[in-house]
Amino acid sequence: MKSIKEREMLKRNRFGLASGLLLAAGMIGCGGAAVPRELIDARHAYAEAQASPAASLEPTQLYEARKALNRAESAFNEDDESKEARDLAYIAQRKAQRAQALGGISYATRQLAQAQRDHIAAQDAIQNKTAEKLSTELNKTRQEVELGKRELQTGREQLAVERTARIAAEHRAKEAMSKLAEVASVREVPQRGTVITLSGSVLFATGQSTLLPNAQEKLNQVATALREQSEQSITIEGYTDSVGADDKNQQLSLRRAQAVRDYLVSQGVPAERVQAVGRGEGSPVASNDSPEGRANNRRVEIVVGARGTGSATSDATRAPSGQTAKSGSDAYD
Amino acid sequence: MHKTKAVPISFALLALAAVGCGGAAVPHDQLVSSQASIRAAEEVGANSNPTAQLHLRFARDQVAKARTLIADDENEEAKLVLQRAQADADLAIAITKEASVRAQAEQALSQVAALRQQIQQR
Repeated sequence: MKSIKEREMLKRNRFGLASGLLLAAGMIGCGGAAVPRELIDARHAYAEAQASPAASLEPTQLYEARKALNRAESAFNEDDESKEARDLAYIAQRKAQRAQALGGISYATRQLAQAQRDHIAAQDAIQNKTAEKLSTELNKTRQEVELGKRELQTGREQLAVERTARIAAEHRAKEAMSKLAEVASVREVPQRGTVITLSGSVLFATGQSTLLPNAQEKLNQVATALREQSEQSITIEGYTDSVGADDKNQQLSLRRAQAVRDYLVSQGVPAERVQAVGRGEGSPVASNDSPEGRANNRRVEIVVGARGTGSATSDATRAPSGQTAKSGSDAYD
Repeated sequence: MHKTKAVPISFALLALAAVGCGGAAVPHDQLVSSQASIRAAEEVGANSNPTAQLHLRFARDQVAKARTLIADDENEEAKLVLQRAQADADLAIAITKEASVRAQAEQALSQVAALRQQIQQR
């Protein structure tokens, strides 16, 4: 890129320097001119500046330095001992150094600007990363909340379904009971529960604990009603009139209660909810003095929802099924 | 009023006389220019940078030398010495500014490096 003129000048300078050195020894006496220190320094400074970023970043300043160096070189060529040449070389050296420094300023200024842009970009990146992190966490939390909501909704729905089912079951239980009331005596008794009373004469032959064929039809209806009474405990209580020995009546009442229990269980009433109890002559509902009263006392009561009934008889309640009365001595039953 | 007018006139007469004597004119402009550069160098803080301080010192010394030369009517040489002084003062300014901008750039670069490290650690 250097002009031919410049190259030639440099060559000449080099030649000048070389010849200066060669001739120095012999020519000192002749007054031959060595290149002054200032000019050597100026050339060095210019070469350094030219190799620095100033060449591309501060070409005008470098050009000015070149011009200053040329002036010094010209002055030296005109008069190799002139003081002016040294002064101009001194100035040229400073100008070259200044051009290099200005190049350094340009370079550092660009670096600074780039660093400032990078700084902003890095800050943006940090902000983006933070925002991304927060967004992820937020999404996760939102999903958790959504899941929680759905679970809550499912729970509510299940609860509603269960509640509807319970209401329906209660409704069916009530309906079954009221249907039963059409064919049997059904009463609500405080502390005991719902009491279904079946006449003994309808269920059993005198002194027997085997169910009569007609009894089964009636008990079928009872079983249907009881199957709907979910979660309710059921107690089958057998009663006799006062005719005959107490212990015999007691045994007979228990056998009859068990017969009813076994039949109901065979008709689908859960066995674990049903217990049979013999009450004998106890708790008459009418006077045993009249035949009508005795007939009313001979009965089987089915208590639904009964709790804490006679513990004294509880041992005998879950007697093996299929047990039938052997005694036929209750002639008056 | 008469006195104030009289001063520049007498200067002009002296200058004419000096030129007439074969000497060069007093390098006023170069003197003003060199001194302005020295002040500028002082203002940018050349005294706090050793290299810049040295060149500032050269500049001041050369201005003083130029004044002596002017007093001795060596105006031609004074002008060159003043040019040298200016070259030193201007160089002092450039060196000072370069050091300052370089320091700023280095600081900014290290800050960016620290931020980038932060990003990688996140």
